[in-house]
Amino acid sequence: MAYKEVVVKKPLLLIILPYASLILFFGLWQAVVQFGIIPNTLLASPSQVLTTFIDKLTNANPDGATMGAHAWTSIQEAFLGYLLSLVIGIPLGLAMGWFNIAEGLFRPIFELIRPIPPIAWIPLTVFWFGIGLAGKVFIIWIAGIVPCVINSYVGVRMTSPVLIQMARTYGASSWQIFTQLCIPSALPMVFGALQLALAYCWTNLVAAELLAADSGLGFLITMGGRLGRPDIIVLGMICVGISGAIIGFVIDQVEKKLLAGIRR
Amino acid sequence: MAGNSIANETVNQSRNREPFSLRRFLTNKYFLYCVSICLFLSLWDYVAREKIFRDSLARPLEVWDQLVLLTQIKFAGTHLWGHIWASLQRVLIGFVLASIVAIPLGLFMALNRYVNAIVKPLFDLFKPMPPIAWVSIAILWFGIGETSKVFIIIIGTFVPCLLNAYNGVRLVDPDLYDVIRVLGGSRRDEIIHVCFPASFPAIFAGLQISLSSAWTCVLAAELMNSRDGMGFLIKRGMDTHQPTLVLGGMILIAAAAYGTSLIVSLAERRLCPWQRTIDNL
Repeated sequence: MAYKEVVVKKPLLLIILPYASLILFFGLWQAVVQFGIIPNTLLASPSQVLTTFIDKLTNANPDGATMGAHAWTSIQEAFLGYLLSLVIGIPLGLAMGWFNIAEGLFRPIFELIRPIPPIAWIPLTVFWFGIGLAGKVFIIWIAGIVPCVINSYVGVRMTSPVLIQMARTYGASSWQIFTQLCIPSALPMVFGALQLALAYCWTNLVAAELLAADSGLGFLITMGGRLGRPDIIVLGMICVGISGAIIGFVIDQVEKKLLAGIRR
Repeated sequence: MAGNSIANETVNQSRNREPFSLRRFLTNKYFLYCVSICLFLSLWDYVAREKIFRDSLARPLEVWDQLVLLTQIKFAGTHLWGHIWASLQRVLIGFVLASIVAIPLGLFMALNRYVNAIVKPLFDLFKPMPPIAWVSIAILWFGIGETSKVFIIIIGTFVPCLLNAYNGVRLVDPDLYDVIRVLGGSRRDEIIHVCFPASFPAIFAGLQISLSSAWTCVLAAELMNSRDGMGFLIKRGMDTHQPTLVLGGMILIAAAAYGTSLIVSLAERRLCPWQRTIDNL
């Protein structure tokens, strides 16, 4: 070997610290509740949350559904809204990036709707669709479509002009340039949108369920608040966080598979 | 007579400009923008007039009248401006408090790996939790007053601020470090002359994200319960089934969100003129 391998040793402290900080955090949390520094009516200890979780897996009381049912409702709503926003948002954004007419017609409407927080649509959707699946899917759709459109639009716009000019020189039609040049070069941005849109959808799902729902993880949190059960609130929050993280991880993996070979 | 010489190229080109034609006029960008807005408003008006959603959608002019009316009479104790100010105040307090703490913390995490090792795992724990999920527990802890609303806004703005400050420093072009090292800069020079300026655009992007997140949060908090603010207008409209009030509130909050984000981007242009952006976005 011509070169000497450089071995960078990570200090032991750096390996220990993350675990120490997590352990300290949970320990402190448990202790604060255990010794009554924060009363049990305001915060539940991690051990209580765990007990409640195991209990909720089979027990439908006190909020009317088991953990699995709540999670299933939420995931169903989130995925329907998410898929719809991808199916409509990405082609719209791509078209807006390349075709002047599409941009001229849709951009002003999009700019008008974009600054409205999706949560603000909740009252109207309740009027229009009731508190069922359709209303929530609508809110999630509105939340998810914004990053999809923006990212695909920017992706097409960022196509290297040199490539477009070269394609024109070789006589490619506008449609050919769009499908064979702009779309592939916009793909990394589009995949960025998948993650962003998911995060938006998940946040707004919780909001929609907090305000108008009869089951779902957000509803679990609201019920915990109404019943004054901090263990249920914390449980709901943790479940929302964990399921969001898991879905994000899955999409990340899919993205890596699909984009293998494309330099980002 | 020298019309064909190369020196007169510009003159020739301007003479060769395509003449006015209907097709060019119809595909002009600004013409299409106007068409689009008009179509949107008339579609909205049509749907409302034909009562496709029964009486749950108001016509644009009715919404406008409602907003004008609100500036003249007191609604729930205050004028329209009072409601706007109430929401704006909450957003500003939460936004400023969160960014004062989050940005330095993010920079610290990126610059010092020990701070990073301590804070990162905790941060990763809280990151995936939507800020709105905190609403219930905030009410339990702080009651239904101002504190709980500001708390939710802080939670919502903290994550994007910190994340962008952190990534802003970490993703600085390594060549810049090499340059300053070659020029004999110390670690302190590196931080002051490279890290901070280079991470500025990312920090501002984080501020924009957290601003829009702050508006979402204030809206959620006000929808849950409040006695003033734009979210209150929407909530009251929902409870008394007045679509004009709901739509009016939505328009107001969109305008406020747009205005504040405009201010931040103007500030960004003043404070870091070296940032290159994609035009026309």
